[in-house]
Amino acid sequence: MTVAIATRQTVALTKRSTLAILRQPVLIVPSLVFPLFFAALSASSFSKTTRLPGFPKVDSFLQFTLASTVIQGVLFGSITGAAALATDIEGGFFDRLLAAPTARTGILIGNLMGSALFGAAQSAIFVFALLPFGVRVEAGLLGIGAMIISGGLIALGISSLMSAVAIRTGSAEAVQGAFPLLFVLLFFSSVFFPRQTMHGTYKTIATINPISYLVEGIRSLVLDGFSGLAIAQAILIPIGICVLGFVLALTELRRRLGAR
Amino acid sequence: MTLQHPIVAENLSRHFGDLKAVDGINLSVSEGEIFGFLGPNGAGKSTVVRMLTTLLRPTSGTARVAGFDVVKQADSVRRSIGVALQDAAIDPLMTGTELLQLQAVLYGIPANKMKSRAGELLERVGLTAAGDRRVGTYSGGMRRRLDLALSLIHQPTVLFLDEPTAGLDPMSRIALWDEVRRLNSEGTTVMLTTQYLEEADQLADRIAIIDKGQIVREGQPRVLKSSVGVPTLIVNVSKEQLEVATAVLVTFGEIRPTGDNAVGVGLRQGAQAVTDVVRKLDEAGVRVSHLELNEPSLDDVFAEATGHRLEGETQ
Repeated sequence: MTVAIATRQTVALTKRSTLAILRQPVLIVPSLVFPLFFAALSASSFSKTTRLPGFPKVDSFLQFTLASTVIQGVLFGSITGAAALATDIEGGFFDRLLAAPTARTGILIGNLMGSALFGAAQSAIFVFALLPFGVRVEAGLLGIGAMIISGGLIALGISSLMSAVAIRTGSAEAVQGAFPLLFVLLFFSSVFFPRQTMHGTYKTIATINPISYLVEGIRSLVLDGFSGLAIAQAILIPIGICVLGFVLALTELRRRLGAR
Repeated sequence: MTLQHPIVAENLSRHFGDLKAVDGINLSVSEGEIFGFLGPNGAGKSTVVRMLTTLLRPTSGTARVAGFDVVKQADSVRRSIGVALQDAAIDPLMTGTELLQLQAVLYGIPANKMKSRAGELLERVGLTAAGDRRVGTYSGGMRRRLDLALSLIHQPTVLFLDEPTAGLDPMSRIALWDEVRRLNSEGTTVMLTTQYLEEADQLADRIAIIDKGQIVREGQPRVLKSSVGVPTLIVNVSKEQLEVATAVLVTFGEIRPTGDNAVGVGLRQGAQAVTDVVRKLDEAGVRVSHLELNEPSLDDVFAEATGHRLEGETQ
């Protein structure tokens, strides 16, 4: 199979996975509305916490929470693509793709790219939804671009990891079952408050939790401006997760096909 | 390229742990033939199709489809065949046209021919008006027709249809049969699996009966039916009189498997023996609630080969 044919197939499958997300408002709306709702709620409830010792210098709690909003939305949205892959396996559509001369990696990439595009779109929506409320992104337009790319990469990485679960189990329920795990990871991270304000075990867990570093990278772009460390955290860590997730998903795909 | 036998399997087996789903089958399908694979649920039909369409690796044995080895040249097999799998697995969120265009890309059809090919196929299966509707709104019959259209996107010479009419209403079933006949008349070799006796009888030039992973009979339906020979008389009696009725009927021929509270007998002397049978049953005090004379059917062939009937299992 030529690279041109494999690329054309992957683009067509990307279009399919993107359409599948766009045509299910029941999946899109909660992953857009709930993070924004939580941002509004926390901005009004926790505004005084910005005066706590160790809290970074911010214009408002809403400015602080922009990164949290992006991470929450993207993490929850990224389950969608993996669940769709599991549904394809359960329902037989996956077999239709396998019975055709389809590039096997194209099936995986096509599915993941839908999640990545949705993650990037979510990030853009969150940023532009909060800008009119006085939120400033210190890194400017370049920083906003980096945040959007970061959102896409995080969605791609998490979706790859979840796809490995989908391919191994072939069960949409198993993928949805990972949702509480993501929630716990979010809760025990610096998504809602800076690590500098934490103490004890909670701070220890947040320090080893990779989600903390993702959110701190994006937050640094919002609060401090463009820097090498911020880009490394916001872009390079998600790329690392993507590589890990893709290798795992591809391994599971090969295992599933080999076991046939 | 034309092949005398586009589908050939030799000692093909597939085991799942201790279960021998397919146990050393041999088959050879001729070019331009409609070959029916008949058997109950779990007999191994779909497993054979999945091996021949490269979706499942054989545990042992070999198979060549369209001249290519299903394991060593799987990609070439995929390019040559059309496949409509059981349950018409179609993405409900996409429209018929979108699915056909996606399928066209997967089979490498050039972009400038995709639309016209999709349009032709929608017209062929009578779905032009529904082409822009999401598949989730289609009826079962429409899904099956779209599934067939999808399998034809690249004009394959060999077509696999796995239970193509399962769950369809009679009208949809007949419409699909007509389409399969039309495809075959255009030169497509068709292998279909079915659990419906009538479907195998109506459509197939040749059938193989599969039971417990093994082919137990193979041949033209007409020849297979005549091999069973004599008509079957089925007599319904009360449960208490089954034994007496069986003792009477066995004097007229071989007892054949039937449903509950009934005895079947292959009449050695043909249909003219029915009056004698009725008289003898009456003399033995057997009260007959229903009596039916059946010419040999594929179900008789199945029953003779396996010791149990297919009809009762699939209805």
